[in-house]
Amino acid sequence: MELLTLFIIMLVILCAGLAVQWPTVRRQSLPTYPQRAPFLGGGLPDTHAWNRYHVRYYPMTLLLIAFEMEMMFMYPWAVVFVEKGMMAMMEMGMFLAILSVGIVYAWREGVFRWQ
Amino acid sequence: MAVSWLRRLAARAPVPVFPALGVHGDAMLRELALDPGVELVGSPRHASVLLVAGGVPPDQHAALRRVHDQVPRPFATLWWRSEPLDGLENATRIDAPSALSDALIAAHRDVMLGRRGSSPRLLPDEPPNPWEGLGDDGHGGEGMMGGVPYGRPMAMNMHDDLRDGLTLDSLTFRLGPFFPALPPGMQAEVTLQGDLVQTWAVQHAPYPLGLDAVFFDARQQPVSIAELELARARYHLYRLFHGLWLAGLESVGLHVLRLARSLTPDSRVDGLRRRLARCGFFDLTMTASAALDDEQARQIGGPAARAAGLADDLRSEDANYRRLGFTPVCQQEGNTRARWWQALAEIDQSLALARQAAARDVQTSEVGSVETPRGPWREGQRPQDASHLLDELLPGLEWGEALAAIASLDLAAVSEWPLDASVAEPRTTPPEEYRA
Repeated sequence: MELLTLFIIMLVILCAGLAVQWPTVRRQSLPTYPQRAPFLGGGLPDTHAWNRYHVRYYPMTLLLIAFEMEMMFMYPWAVVFVEKGMMAMMEMGMFLAILSVGIVYAWREGVFRWQ
Repeated sequence: MAVSWLRRLAARAPVPVFPALGVHGDAMLRELALDPGVELVGSPRHASVLLVAGGVPPDQHAALRRVHDQVPRPFATLWWRSEPLDGLENATRIDAPSALSDALIAAHRDVMLGRRGSSPRLLPDEPPNPWEGLGDDGHGGEGMMGGVPYGRPMAMNMHDDLRDGLTLDSLTFRLGPFFPALPPGMQAEVTLQGDLVQTWAVQHAPYPLGLDAVFFDARQQPVSIAELELARARYHLYRLFHGLWLAGLESVGLHVLRLARSLTPDSRVDGLRRRLARCGFFDLTMTASAALDDEQARQIGGPAARAAGLADDLRSEDANYRRLGFTPVCQQEGNTRARWWQALAEIDQSLALARQAAARDVQTSEVGSVETPRGPWREGQRPQDASHLLDELLPGLEWGEALAAIASLDLAAVSEWPLDASVAEPRTTPPEEYRA
């Protein structure tokens, strides 16, 4: 019963949210085409904006994942370590070694240099 | 009940104004920046009043129409010393500087409360490049690149990358003449690759600068050095305000404007220097680029040349300046940061000279040529426009570095007319009546 109530509440909220977005409810037409053009101080673009753009912090985020994965696996490992002892230690050592190769590689590529 | 409670609230808020600057329009901007009832915004999308300040040449009317139509409805336009565009005959034109702030507030209130209609759209509501849904998937054409769905080509890499070999799609567009980060009137065709400037071609030089009338008088007759140096310091403070505003340091920028407004020979810039160092303005990494070589520095002249280590200054040829112990101050690096240090050093020096000159009532001894804050003005040879230097200076810089470099460089020619004294002079009485 509670689930059903929650489901109905969710449905009502969703419908209300969509209804607010409905153009006739907003009583506003879309902005004109000239208004929607990118603001270039009166200038115009030659191409449209669908272009490939390099996010410069991208290698940084990949590196964060390398560190993050280590930590994520080390928490459950800490529990198992008590039971398994040295074997778990070795396995974690191998895992960390593999990840470290990635970090060392990133270091060589200059990811840690902030530009 | 036609007017909602929200609209009444909006009508009482500070007026978001987008200034489109025409010839000599920037003087008015500095007045408005200090007005608590007005909020200057950087894009027409945030504005509810479009202020066109100063005359706009006819070849830039098309660009002005585009900016006008980018302000969201409802909005008003105000024309300060400028003729409204065709189709806006009912728009308000203001000529008196003192009436501008009140007119802005009144226009905003009327539009928000629905007492007057929004400014009409000037351009037809048509897509600039209509959809051409050709091809198998409606993607606009045939072939690997998918054709031109909106009649405009996809961005493609036409150039090799200048920075690190990572080639991206280049994006070409025309910027200006009403882009707030560029000098008023400047129009450029820019190609970006990622955030890197690939090419920069100035298509329209910035409008000539209006200088204080005292620089014009100094070419005719001896003038008080104190007055001349105060005008010079004020000019550099205004430039510093623009640079700070662009760097997002608005409160320091307003501090600079207030200092410029109340400038006397006894003013000091030590507090300002400390504040600039504390807020990190000189430590911004983007200010460590755009160094001028000797040839470029010579072409621009003035403070930009002195920031690159050339000790050229017409004041050294004036006997009375030499008696006050004048020697040109210089920096070495010639980059954006050195130019801002130079501006600060010249403000400091001008105030010191003004103090000494005011105490002894010294006048200039040379007439005919004068060192303006923009550069040397020799016999009949006004400082000329040097914006074409950006074409060779900016490629290879990141977008932020490029804009910081433009703000630090003073490239426009000097106008043959002085700035209108009624605008240039700081207003002493704040407008209070509209609060009532």
